[in-house]
Amino acid sequence: MTAVVPVYSLGFGLVTASILALAAVGFTLQFGVTNILNLAFGDLMTASALVGYGVNVIGGTLAESLLAGAVFGAIASALLNRYVYTPFVRHGTKLFGMVIVTLSTGIVIQNFILGWFGANFFSYKVAQTKTYHVVGMYFTSIQFMIMGLAIAVMIVVQLLLTQTRLGKAMRATAANPALAQISGIATDRVIDVAWLMSGALCGLAGVVLVLNTTSFQSTTGNDFLVVIIAAAMLGGVGRPLGALVGAVILGIATEVSAAYMSPSYKEVIAFVVLVIVLLVRPGGLFGNADAVRSSNA
Amino acid sequence: MSQSMVYYVTTILVYLGVDILACWSFNLQYGVAGILNFAFIMFQAVGAYTAAVLTLGPSSGNGGFQHYILGWTLPFPIPILVAGVVAAALAYVVGLIALRRLRADYQAMVMLVISVIATLVVTNELGLFNGPAGLALIPEPLSSLVSSGGYPWLYVGVTAAICVIVYLFVHRVTSSPLGRTLRATRDNQDAAQALGKDVVKLRLFIFVFSNAIAGISGALLVEFIGAWSPGSWLYVETFVILTAVIVGGTGNNAGVIMGALLVPIAFNEATRFIPPFGRPGLVDAMQWVVIGILAPIFLWFWPRGIIPERRRRFKVPAILLVGSDQSPTRPEMTTAEAKGEVD
Repeated sequence: MTAVVPVYSLGFGLVTASILALAAVGFTLQFGVTNILNLAFGDLMTASALVGYGVNVIGGTLAESLLAGAVFGAIASALLNRYVYTPFVRHGTKLFGMVIVTLSTGIVIQNFILGWFGANFFSYKVAQTKTYHVVGMYFTSIQFMIMGLAIAVMIVVQLLLTQTRLGKAMRATAANPALAQISGIATDRVIDVAWLMSGALCGLAGVVLVLNTTSFQSTTGNDFLVVIIAAAMLGGVGRPLGALVGAVILGIATEVSAAYMSPSYKEVIAFVVLVIVLLVRPGGLFGNADAVRSSNA
Repeated sequence: MSQSMVYYVTTILVYLGVDILACWSFNLQYGVAGILNFAFIMFQAVGAYTAAVLTLGPSSGNGGFQHYILGWTLPFPIPILVAGVVAAALAYVVGLIALRRLRADYQAMVMLVISVIATLVVTNELGLFNGPAGLALIPEPLSSLVSSGGYPWLYVGVTAAICVIVYLFVHRVTSSPLGRTLRATRDNQDAAQALGKDVVKLRLFIFVFSNAIAGISGALLVEFIGAWSPGSWLYVETFVILTAVIVGGTGNNAGVIMGALLVPIAFNEATRFIPPFGRPGLVDAMQWVVIGILAPIFLWFWPRGIIPERRRRFKVPAILLVGSDQSPTRPEMTTAEAKGEVD
């Protein structure tokens, strides 16, 4: 095994995959239900990380930072949807228009952070942690926490989607909003919940991303956005389980490839994987190709 | 005019020309054909890099402080023309991947990803275009023809001439049956396909054609400013051109000139005179905030821009009216109105 794949890089891959999974599942969940491509997702991650940082600075624990990030992300996403995105949809803005609106929102958030806090790097104050050695892989206790959190959240999301009435309603809304509505599902409420969940995952992902990279600035979340999109598309957009698999594949592929070639290429590898998959299966690994075909929706 | 004033005015004029070319190119894709090309700036960049390495001497020159491919020292019009060809070739490859029958927002995502790959590759592949530092000291073309004082004006003339030539091509495309077909595919892809139009092929054609213009615009810019690096073509730069097109009037060649004048030129120049306040970079950040707000405001209040796309009316040929009780001119609608998007 050690001769084929350097095991330590597999460890890095698992950590990256965990962060990516939190973000990609949040991203794809909301896109699946609402059909709005939220390009402000990465910048919301940065904003949530900043809120978590604020809690950290005033002496909060890591758990409190994570909670603050998740709550902020959830509320900000829901407000963004209700007071910015939904009015544009009701106003008659179509697919392209919505992509432009979300991209604009992201640019505004990012530059607002830049203008307010300057081009500084921020670092969470974290107590010096021990490094653990597990079958050839090295993890800090924070990285253990990140992986544990990701696994727990993935299980909760999966159970919520498959085992509860709310999850059923969300899947129904994603599949056919009009049919869901006439079947008595309060689709507006479901969409609000989808934004809240997506935002909470976004906030968590933002905080763990900067915990792992140790320092961040106004562009950190947005730089990560393209990898998130790649993971979501790889799994099939709108498929939470697909996004999870996409995140694991990309997380491990990027880190393992970094062991063989210049680490600066690891993201290129992620995108090459994505482009190849899209050429073979336009709908992604778990997606339905028909769902992404063009029509004049 | 004082020397600095000449420099200021000519620089703005060249930038205006470059932005107009970029806006025409973007508009052909977004406004006419309905392709949201988030990788737009990559095509401008590849044109700029191509022109730069064809104009520069061998990589070992200037003490070998920068590393790049080619370095052929070609004379003036060739680097710009080749830049267009290389951008077109790249557009063909990208188009084959991204322009298949995917939902419009999917296409946009694929383009975004491709744009980021390009930045990563150019930044990391140091021997290609000198990595993150970028290329500098690109010689001024034609500088031997005139005195150094007259040179900027010469370049303004060259830019203007290229704009006129490109306009003739662009106008030809938008006013021809080809343009009409493209607008049809934009407005109702399924209907256009039902009428036997090969939507994917038509889009691929316009994608290649318009990105050649993007390449030329990048080449013109780099030959003037003499430097080019990955920092000048981050994917958000595409957003400036997109905003210009939306503000000016999507689908209207004259409108997007207005957009180029207002957004990249007037807006960037107006903020230049704001005295710096707050921390360094605050004015820049606020400038982006305002640009970010501008596009949604126009999408809300004036989705068709300052100079909207012309309503196209077609007279019914007289022969068809003989023996029919139809009025000589049918009430015509723009395709947008037909879809119920306008008022």
